[in-house]
Amino acid sequence: MSESNFTTKFLKIFGIDNRGHNRRDPLNVWVPLVSIVLALIVSMIVIAASGRNPFRAYALLFGDSGLIPGGAAWRREFAELLIKSAMYIATGLSVALAFKGGLFNIGAEGQFWVGAIVATFFGYWAPVAHTFGAMYAALGSFGWIAQLLHGAICIIMGMLAGGAWAAVAGFLYVKRGVNIVIGTIMLNWIAWFLITSWLVTFNGPMTPASQTFTFGSFYVADTAKLLRIMMPTRLNTSILLVLLAAYATWFLLYKTTIGYEIRAIGYTANIGMETPRAQGINISRRIMQLMTISGALAGLGGCFFILGMQYQFPGTAIMGYGWTGIGVALIGQSEPLGVVLAGLFIGALRTGATSMQVANIPKTFSNIIEGLAVGFIALQVAVRYYLVKIIQHRRARRAPPAGQEAAV
Amino acid sequence: MKALEVRSISKMFPGNLANDNISFSVEKGEIFAIVGENGAGKSTLMNIIYGIYTPSGGDLLVNEKEVKIRSVEDAIKLRMGMVHQEFMLIPRFTVTQNIVIGDEPHKGIFFDYGRAVREVRELSERVSLVVDATAVAGDLPVGVQQRIEILKVLRRGAEILIFDEPTAVLTPEETVDLFVTMRKLQAEGKTILFISHKLKEVMEIADRIAVLRRGKLQGIVNKKDTNEEELARMMVGRNVVLEIPKVDVEVGAVAFACHDLHVRNKRGYETVKGMSFDVRGGEIVGIAGVQGNGQDELVNAMIGFSHPVSGSMELNGKNMRLVTTAQLRKEGMSYITEDRARRGLVMPYTVRENAVMGQHLGRPFSKGIRMDYDKLAEFAEGKVREYDIRPGDVYDTAGSLSGGNQQKLILARELSLPHNFLIASQPTRGLDVGATEFVYHKLLEEKKAGKAILLISLELSEILGLSDRILVMFEGHIVGETTPDKTTEEALGLLMLGVGIDKKVQS
Repeated sequence: MSESNFTTKFLKIFGIDNRGHNRRDPLNVWVPLVSIVLALIVSMIVIAASGRNPFRAYALLFGDSGLIPGGAAWRREFAELLIKSAMYIATGLSVALAFKGGLFNIGAEGQFWVGAIVATFFGYWAPVAHTFGAMYAALGSFGWIAQLLHGAICIIMGMLAGGAWAAVAGFLYVKRGVNIVIGTIMLNWIAWFLITSWLVTFNGPMTPASQTFTFGSFYVADTAKLLRIMMPTRLNTSILLVLLAAYATWFLLYKTTIGYEIRAIGYTANIGMETPRAQGINISRRIMQLMTISGALAGLGGCFFILGMQYQFPGTAIMGYGWTGIGVALIGQSEPLGVVLAGLFIGALRTGATSMQVANIPKTFSNIIEGLAVGFIALQVAVRYYLVKIIQHRRARRAPPAGQEAAV
Repeated sequence: MKALEVRSISKMFPGNLANDNISFSVEKGEIFAIVGENGAGKSTLMNIIYGIYTPSGGDLLVNEKEVKIRSVEDAIKLRMGMVHQEFMLIPRFTVTQNIVIGDEPHKGIFFDYGRAVREVRELSERVSLVVDATAVAGDLPVGVQQRIEILKVLRRGAEILIFDEPTAVLTPEETVDLFVTMRKLQAEGKTILFISHKLKEVMEIADRIAVLRRGKLQGIVNKKDTNEEELARMMVGRNVVLEIPKVDVEVGAVAFACHDLHVRNKRGYETVKGMSFDVRGGEIVGIAGVQGNGQDELVNAMIGFSHPVSGSMELNGKNMRLVTTAQLRKEGMSYITEDRARRGLVMPYTVRENAVMGQHLGRPFSKGIRMDYDKLAEFAEGKVREYDIRPGDVYDTAGSLSGGNQQKLILARELSLPHNFLIASQPTRGLDVGATEFVYHKLLEEKKAGKAILLISLELSEILGLSDRILVMFEGHIVGETTPDKTTEEALGLLMLGVGIDKKVQS
């Protein structure tokens, strides 16, 4: 453990150390980075092939992504970047955690929306909303306490709901052997259509009785909204909460007995998990816990969507946050820190993408970059192979190893 | 004529010289054995010859012509064929389908199954390797599955056959069959490279024997001029006493007992049909039997992986018939498995993480839900020294260790768990001489410490050398009970095969 003293000490302040980690393979960092660079290069070729200037496109994309400080609009862009990233990081953590346990939870999408709708409900539901409204009024300048409490209740409920939704798939897997991929993907659509075709549809149970054709749910009370932390932008506490969640995920994986068992299960998932089972580890219980926590993380993203951005369940919501989370988890190599960085990267792409329209490039173009990055990650065996070759080649040029000399 | 010649082959892996300047030549029609401990470089060498690895230096000659083998396709074109230790069969395909796959006879774009079956029958007759061409591969015994592999290789026109530890998965009589096959192939003029670390088998089948140790060729000897002891010395670089010393310990109380135990396998067939026995403290009870006579199911029931359909099972006097593995562990059951990769270790986990699995809950390794990884490393470092696990870095993954060191790690873990009953299921399978000796030594130490030990093994010498009492298992029953001084390998072998079951062994 001879990592640089400064880094070690710095991270220790935040309670992070590397004791639970295995010795690091630097390729774990290089593979995703190289994949992203490759994706960017290939995307440039695609832009150039369609007769547009790739350099101008990237200047616009990254210039307005919020990553590079400066410019009049930077504060707003930066805020947008963080707001978007918070949701992607949440779903990314959800998928990554399940991956670590060998479970391909592609149900983050459904868990996200279940979390969102439950957070909405506790945001506007009169008994709760009135209580905190009255509390806010009574507390005067300490009104923020009411805001914190109401927000916390919405988030806790949203997370519990997301967790419960994922636990259904976990239960079906553990008790009935239903493949986790099938279980979660089915539950995605069940959640989505329960919400959009019943709860928040025109004149649905969570929609205001309306004279016009408004659909989308009631708006949440002001006390339920996440506090803003960088006026005048709409940046809110979601980014702080999600960083806390990332820390908690890391802590769970590398500091607790649960994480130790989960990783052992994940490493042996494709060969029947017999080793952990033979050591007396209760696999069913751990899988249920893992799915619940994973779902809760996705649900947290849904809470951010409602309480930090929309303030209602909008009729115009489109799916995608959970799906993106899969990409984030893959690019982040299923490590909490990697997921945070990958989430920020995807958030930046999505923030800057709109500006590329100036160069006549559709804003969905960022999806191509994401897709390619994930594609190259999927090809990581190949990426790894060539990276190793390059490293060996460079080493060989510097000093030929003793063994080769002996062999000649 | 030289069928194959290897000249100064070397293979470097990062930080490891797996093959160091190896040269030898194999005559056409010869059975040439390559022996060495696990990790001596046998498999690396074969993978180089078969085009899976490219050598860092050196030349290969086939039929006295220099060749470059860059891929398995190249090797097949040069008429080489490898029979892998792990079979590469598709269980649901028939024997014929498995043999012709990759090079199927066809009628236009359609697969000509009828012709394929005829071809396979012809081939099997010609080389007198009996298989049922239309049987489903997955239903056949391991020995027959291996025959399918051999036929597959022969159908591609192989003249040089590489057998990579072919007997590791075979029962004693299947091994005999295989040797008959190998002799037949030799008589047909095929050249055979036989990789093994079982000296007895090498002495039986090979013409010449090359010994590898730590990547270096120690020497090539004619079978006529050598013996097992000499080979063992060459392999490990010192005298190995394969004699197992007798240890007399006073037998204590019954630790494990089962009565009329019936267990079903995964498919629902009853494969343990009413077994009753007990194991007492300070004694080693050996279960001898041919593989597939219910041993796996018996072990599964004893470790809580499956519940017996009926009968009783007690550990330290407590009923354990319908309990979980965790409860059995808590009551003092320890388990050494032959399947290190699947059941013994989490291969991507480090040595330190593997060393404590099963005792990671509670002090000293965790407090509440918090895991103390420093304590893990400390504990593992102690065990690495005590058990001489090499290379001794507790941050290495278990998968990077050699088979013998993996088994030492499993022993270190299982013996440090609080236990009084040890199940040792084929504890030396796939191990080299040194590691085998280590395992025997540890089992005897356990016995001295008064633990009850159940030893399940296919190696009769192991059963005879270690056990105080021997139970012979055949088709899910105990067909005989004896002691080592009252029986012989031959007598046990007959019993294992179900010969003369009515007449119980005199005891």
